[in-house]
Amino acid sequence: MIDLPKTNTESIIKKKRYRNKESLTAFLCLIPVFMGLSIISYIPTIAVFVLSMFDWNGLTAPKFVALDNFVRIFSRDMYFYDSVRVTIVYAFIAVAGSLLYSLIIALFLNRKIPARPFWRAIFFIPYMLPAAGVFTAWRWLYEVNYGLFNYAFRILGLPPQQFVQSPAQVLPSLALIAVWCSGNLIVIFVASLQNVARVYMEAAEIDGANAWQRFWNVTIPCISPIIFYNMLMALISNLQVITPALAMTNGGPQNGSMFMSYIIYMYGFQKNRLGYASAYAVIFFMIVGIFTAILFKTFGSQFFGGGEKK
Amino acid sequence: MTSKAYHSGGGAFASRKRTERIANTATVAIIAILAAMAILPIYWVFRSSVISNSELYAYPPSFLPKEWLWSNYLRTLESFEFWTYFKNTFSIIIPAVTAGTITGIFSAYAFARLNFKGKRLIFTLCVGTILLPGMVTLIPLYVFWTRGLHLGGTYWPMILPFFTGGGFFNIFLLKQFMETVPIEIDEAAEIDGASRMRILWFMIVPSIKPAIIVVIMLLFIQLWNDLLQQMIYINSMAKFTFAIGLTTFTGAFGTKWNYAMAATCLTMLPGIVIYLLGQRSFVEGITLTGMKN
Repeated sequence: MIDLPKTNTESIIKKKRYRNKESLTAFLCLIPVFMGLSIISYIPTIAVFVLSMFDWNGLTAPKFVALDNFVRIFSRDMYFYDSVRVTIVYAFIAVAGSLLYSLIIALFLNRKIPARPFWRAIFFIPYMLPAAGVFTAWRWLYEVNYGLFNYAFRILGLPPQQFVQSPAQVLPSLALIAVWCSGNLIVIFVASLQNVARVYMEAAEIDGANAWQRFWNVTIPCISPIIFYNMLMALISNLQVITPALAMTNGGPQNGSMFMSYIIYMYGFQKNRLGYASAYAVIFFMIVGIFTAILFKTFGSQFFGGGEKK
Repeated sequence: MTSKAYHSGGGAFASRKRTERIANTATVAIIAILAAMAILPIYWVFRSSVISNSELYAYPPSFLPKEWLWSNYLRTLESFEFWTYFKNTFSIIIPAVTAGTITGIFSAYAFARLNFKGKRLIFTLCVGTILLPGMVTLIPLYVFWTRGLHLGGTYWPMILPFFTGGGFFNIFLLKQFMETVPIEIDEAAEIDGASRMRILWFMIVPSIKPAIIVVIMLLFIQLWNDLLQQMIYINSMAKFTFAIGLTTFTGAFGTKWNYAMAATCLTMLPGIVIYLLGQRSFVEGITLTGMKN
């Protein structure tokens, strides 16, 4: 080891210095990521657990109350059980509806049709509309006496409906808006369908598979990672639903759209009960975690590879 | 897409062609009906924005306005301050999107091209953040921005989070794309004495332009769609954005739905324009990015 050729030692030193520099560059490039992980993600997550054990109105000194907030939520909170039910039911309808809708539209858009960008734009544009605009628009469309929907119902000979003003119909009505706005899923499905290798399709065709068999045995398996990914993203975003309540229903009618996120907002920012709202956020976190875990267990596939893998 | 097997019999080939033509016509017909249903709400909103209040409540409603009352827009603009909202909205969006894109490129570069200790761990921690619901961190972040840094009443709480790469999904997208750029390009440039940052910004970035456009669009949509953050952090009328302006406007106008719809159309317009400008590269970009199977 002592009498290594000079050139070799030099090159080792050079290499080492180069690698050190590489680590330094990586560290500098990743400063945003470190900030994101700490300040935006993990520290606030820990903080919400801490805050959940305090009684705090944001002005006076916070008071430690241990698990009182949770006890109160589970035993005396008038919204809690409604909100859990409403959030889960909404998420299920919206996820199933948007996946089905976007996959069907994407399958059509994937065929050889004239003016494809034009059709694609039509289905995608609702996603580009700002949420505030979407819900103002749909408030008018769902208007009980003069709205477009009840007009259409009347033409079809159906009785007029209450839509967002009825506790029973508010969730499907809001989910329909979410389905309408699922242009992002369409674009992702279209992209994945275009990448289904032609050779598989042609092989199946030569083997005499009909369109339906080709769909089930070639297309679906090929895009299943994307279906899973879309399902996961749709689930997380729909469980967090809040904008319809903010812009349209205010949680009503009769707590029919009292989403958990809206309650966190309401307690935290309208009633200034930051500790109590944090306790809600902790419970909400658990619920989202449980559903995500179930999804991974059921459809488990690894969409995001490791750092080195592609 | 005719495969060889069908060339054997002329009759089978012709009938197959016919079936294909029928199928294509049916596809176009179905897609047209679905598209009409998807666009109808937007048309209806627009139609309602240019008719008189009495026509609005007439039965049966007219599909086309009897009289195009463009003056509704002038009336609306009297209290719906379009240009103020426009300026305010974009003074959040432009810095946030710029910051998110630039920091995202740096972060993606580290994951795609550099080797360092703890890469896997950091990457895994980042993946975890995608699954972290934003509602969970809402209150601690509010406390941090307003009590910790005293940024209440400014746009910074809505902009600063984008200095962290604009969310890990975007970093992941850029990383996937950078990995498709041949490493030989880096090596060749390195031999020529180019620094890493030079390679990144002058060789890699230009060749992943589609992915960058996708990231810009996704960041834009995220901010454009937002209502919650703006409701929490905006507290003076001078700072109103489109979302807040519209919500307040429609609340104040009660049943004057034609004005409300005019304001809604005005709010929707910038997003539609931006989509039409960027749609080609956007869709192409998504197709080319990590959305592969």
